[in-house]
Amino acid sequence: MKAAFYSLTSCEGCLTTLITNLGPNLQALWKIFDIDYFKLVREPVGGEKVPRVDIAFVEGAVVTSLDKKRISQIRANSSFVVALGTCASCGNIAYTASRGVDLSKRRLRDLEVFEAEPLSSHVNVDFELSGCPVSAEEFTEALLRLLNGIEPRQPDFSVCYECKLKGNRCLLEVGKLCLGPLAMGGCGAACPSVGAPCYSCRGPAVEADLAAYLKTIEKHGIAESKATSAIRAFTGKKIAELLKNGQK
Amino acid sequence: MDKNENMRGNENEVILDTNELRLIEGHGRLKVKLSGSRIEAEFHNLEGPRFLTSYLKGKPAEMAPLVASRICGLCYTAHSINAAEAVEEALGVTPEEEVVELRRLLYLANNLRSHMMHLLFLSVPPIKGLISVFRLREKELVAAGTRLLSTSTQLIEHWGGRSVHVPNVVVGGFGALVRGKELMESIRKIESLRADARLFVEHVLDMELPELERFRTMISLKADTYPTYAREAPLIINDGSMITDEEYVSDLEEVVKEYSTSKHVYFRGSEATVGALSRIMLNRRRLNPEAREYSERIEWRINPFLMIKAQAVELMHYLEEIIEAGERLSDATIAPNGYPCMRNGKKGKTEACFTGRGGKGIAIAEAPRGTLCHACEIEDGLIKDYRVYTPTALNSKSIEMDSVEMVKRFRPLGGEKLKYVLEDLVRCYDPCLSCAVSLDFLSDR
Repeated sequence: MKAAFYSLTSCEGCLTTLITNLGPNLQALWKIFDIDYFKLVREPVGGEKVPRVDIAFVEGAVVTSLDKKRISQIRANSSFVVALGTCASCGNIAYTASRGVDLSKRRLRDLEVFEAEPLSSHVNVDFELSGCPVSAEEFTEALLRLLNGIEPRQPDFSVCYECKLKGNRCLLEVGKLCLGPLAMGGCGAACPSVGAPCYSCRGPAVEADLAAYLKTIEKHGIAESKATSAIRAFTGKKIAELLKNGQK
Repeated sequence: MDKNENMRGNENEVILDTNELRLIEGHGRLKVKLSGSRIEAEFHNLEGPRFLTSYLKGKPAEMAPLVASRICGLCYTAHSINAAEAVEEALGVTPEEEVVELRRLLYLANNLRSHMMHLLFLSVPPIKGLISVFRLREKELVAAGTRLLSTSTQLIEHWGGRSVHVPNVVVGGFGALVRGKELMESIRKIESLRADARLFVEHVLDMELPELERFRTMISLKADTYPTYAREAPLIINDGSMITDEEYVSDLEEVVKEYSTSKHVYFRGSEATVGALSRIMLNRRRLNPEAREYSERIEWRINPFLMIKAQAVELMHYLEEIIEAGERLSDATIAPNGYPCMRNGKKGKTEACFTGRGGKGIAIAEAPRGTLCHACEIEDGLIKDYRVYTPTALNSKSIEMDSVEMVKRFRPLGGEKLKYVLEDLVRCYDPCLSCAVSLDFLSDR
């Protein structure tokens, strides 16, 4: 089997997470796959040419004309495309941030800049692995499933589930805005476990119920406007849909 | 008439083009042109802007570390700690001494991790003519490097709350309780890797590197110890003068380049180089004993290729420093101290954090790639202005000038060979284009 790891506009934190957290096991990937393209680990075979592969992992959002060209080449040459991380699956902060900027103001000589979009706005994506950054464990599980011909899956629980398992005190109860009930789990409730609120960096949970959430925070004296602004921070595109449905 | 002359000026012959640079953080390209008899270089940043600093405008101050962290996937800890410090300075919050000490520890672990990542994966293999770290003949070297890389990541994960984009660094201190005893245990793990570090450092110090000496301004923080994270420390320039952080920021100038998504930053209207080599050249007397011994083996000159040797020496220093800092913190207990508004969060009466408070704050520290500066202005608890001056944005000008120098001196080598050496040159600066693009070409000023 052939695999490739690409990077579009991002902080490259997802690929770095894989490299550092897989540690000595990183090299084992080469025993399973032929990897002709792995940003940060090897020089690509064939230079800038996008190789034909079975599985392509793509981190980053589509922002520049170069990204647009690259993602369509990747799609055309890959049987299975996995969006790696929140930039690729939802557009991350850049999705909301780029919509507040006048992009026509200045032009570059040989590169165009557009509003940030997740991969799915441009091409069909077979599977999305969310997280800012992506979790190495989830990546490994998805990889093992793909190798065995089983469809990988996304966590079907919210951040609150894992947070309760860890025995953390609920941040909403102390009057702190936390998006846990709306957010897709799988991160091990990393932020609430250190007392920092969840900003839903993995997009909405399957069970996300905005109306119920807004009622809950009202009960704890947190302003709705504060919540809706925080909701838009990381998962711009997906949460916009949720907000729209919530208003109905 | 004028227009015609301009046209002729634009008829530049591209003598070297690296296309998309391989093995660097982000997407970049280096072009060297001949315009008349003059050689010019262009360092293109092709990474798309994510507008993180403009996103912060109008957002609550406590969001700064969280968003700033996303600037970079390699030096995220540096960005979130600098952000927390800049906001604290603006709001007049002084963190406890132990908080500063633990932040320094996280900073050191992140610098160690970033240097390791850069040396092991990005700079050493291509200089040896290899396509990947896994082709290195010295397998024990790869194993040693990988151990250091994953152990330093574990340290960050344990104390930062996650391996990348640490949520535990918050305005005011740390979100979770930190016990010195546990800290010591996790540090002991990295202490056992001294032999690995020695093996790696010695290997890098013995490498043969090209010669490219060229004088330029070099800047680094100047503290009582070897500089990493130090509050309110002045900066030193290689002409011997010292400046305060405010003077430094006012001497910086953002310059838009039509070929790059990130602005270049000039210091006093010209280039300045920051990074491991600047730190070593300006502060090497303050290195820890073993690192200092290593540093004496090298004749330090302003040759950008020496940056990787400087990083190797720093690797040893950071390791020694982490162990020392751990010992100082062994009896400490740091109580959760983020978000002061939360401490009296009574039911039905939640106040916005930092309402009614404001001011200006600057935080400067030595991130892996050099002097990193965050500057913010806060009004009524909300961010009014946020600026990040990254090391790569500063170094861009030096990268271009060094490339020109390189082509001038080594042109007889021929284009194909020269291209590889030029790529090595760029990589020695350890450029981080995702960081640099936080000074995107569209932002004002």
